[in-house]
Amino acid sequence: MTALSLALLIPWAAGAVVLAMDGRRPIVGLIAIGALVATLATLVVLLVEVLADGPVEMTTGNWPAGVGITLRADALGVLFAMLSAVMLLAAAIHEVVGGVRERPFPGLVVLLTAGLTGAFLTGDLFNFYVFFELALTASYVLATYGGSRRALGAALVFTAVNLLGTFVFLVSVAGLYHVTGTLGMDAIGTRMAGVDRNASVLIAVGFFVAFGVKLGLFPFHFWLPTVYTGARPAVAAILSGGLANIGAYGLLRFGADLFARELELGAGVLIVIGSLSILYGGVLAISRTTAGEVLAYSAIGQVGYVLVAIGVGGPVGFAAAILYTVINALNKSLLFLTGRLRGPFVAGVFALGALSVAGVPPAAGFIGKLELFRAAADQPALLVLLFVGSALSFVYMFQVYQLDFWRAERTGRQSGWQQNVVLGSLALAVLAGGLWPEPLLAISRVAAAALTGGQP
Amino acid sequence: MNLVLALAAATLFGVGAYLVLSRDLVRLVLGVVVISQAAILTLIAAGLTRGEAPIYPLGDGPVSDPLSQAMALTAIVIGMAVTALLLVLVLRVVIAHQSPDLDELAEEEAERDARLERRRGPDQEDEEEAAR
Repeated sequence: MTALSLALLIPWAAGAVVLAMDGRRPIVGLIAIGALVATLATLVVLLVEVLADGPVEMTTGNWPAGVGITLRADALGVLFAMLSAVMLLAAAIHEVVGGVRERPFPGLVVLLTAGLTGAFLTGDLFNFYVFFELALTASYVLATYGGSRRALGAALVFTAVNLLGTFVFLVSVAGLYHVTGTLGMDAIGTRMAGVDRNASVLIAVGFFVAFGVKLGLFPFHFWLPTVYTGARPAVAAILSGGLANIGAYGLLRFGADLFARELELGAGVLIVIGSLSILYGGVLAISRTTAGEVLAYSAIGQVGYVLVAIGVGGPVGFAAAILYTVINALNKSLLFLTGRLRGPFVAGVFALGALSVAGVPPAAGFIGKLELFRAAADQPALLVLLFVGSALSFVYMFQVYQLDFWRAERTGRQSGWQQNVVLGSLALAVLAGGLWPEPLLAISRVAAAALTGGQP
Repeated sequence: MNLVLALAAATLFGVGAYLVLSRDLVRLVLGVVVISQAAILTLIAAGLTRGEAPIYPLGDGPVSDPLSQAMALTAIVIGMAVTALLLVLVLRVVIAHQSPDLDELAEEEAERDARLERRRGPDQEDEEEAAR
């Protein structure tokens, strides 16, 4: 319980303090990194607690249960909070050693961590919205980081589209409150069974649209390439490795936990949309020639796999979706952070990231694809799709590798040793996930079991 | 009452959507504001009950639902902060581009893409020639 409160309190308090200081000074960057490390440490403690004794719950302000806001940490929430904290930490270190350019950067990263951690560790629907908005507001400002005209235009698109997404979310929250009369996620889950089908499907679609926009799924993807290519590498890594997790988490939490009936009903639609995302992202990525653009379209394709896995459903499908989200976040952070750097070391980690995106062993992406294959084993059409998707990603990743590193067209700084350490650790994580996948597999099964209510 | 509120929220959403789709950046902000009002109205409508003010109920009669009011207030505050942020963003874009018109922003984007294509173009021709 202490760990749960600390995981929210540390980044929130530290973020507010760091934001008031001049982030361009190295010491402020170090404080921010220290706050992120402390948050991560409490999350690790929390994860151990959750794995040992099951979900941790507490009600804020000592209110009686049902009146106060509930905070709830289960395996799924803590896993996603940890994942986001690690990705944000990597991006923050990368930017701090490279030289921060604008005052608010370190503070915003810490506040973004606070928002994400809060959203993942809440058991209250409206509280989820508040933390969600905190995370998004920090990322709206982060998207302008760098201050180029291009980044500003991209940030405007990002802000406008995501604001509309959150209002759709808010309307859905209102709808859910109206039909169930409660905001506690546990109570909603049990009361959903008695709700009229028409109303519940409509609300479920609202949530799907809201999270689809965050993830950049195919019909809601239009903002994504502009933003990911316009932003600086560290910001692109934060958005794709950290913030996008909230979309996957939302689909899992709301789809599998609260709207289980509606998810079954719409499974076919989810699989079709996911497939379209995979094909659209893959084909457009092949037609692009700069690393940033290829990665942006690749991001659209990769979340398609997550959606397909959720559509397949069941403990195996959800476990595959969780595992793939973790691996995808790792890949995207690693690849985006290599942007605007060059040198043989950068080429090496880029190649490893490319192998992981394509799903080639020994990289972690192979394990992710393997689990997807397991989930879709009895549906031949899906297997073909997964294979085509992997082939497409192999082509576009190595096409850009060839252009950037063999023809040496990549412009940018030679990477320094500190940046190499960050990239190297991420690359090691990708490699370790591929060579020794058992812990990752086990934890994703436990997290999926938290959703379906069964035993792992 | 529910129908009236639903119609009002739908109208607000429609007006907001129309404004968001226009070319002027200030209208885009106004559209987002109007849509946020539609969402807040829906929140209020979601918990619409008749009764005494919930802050200090004296009689035995029913108490109106305080939760939707709390949610609406929170949403209003968040909406205001985010609108202010969006306005600042628009201001910075307008200063950088010297124009509040989305068409001109899009034009610049298209130009950059064309430059990128040109950069690639001659390169590939060289390669083809070498291959021959």
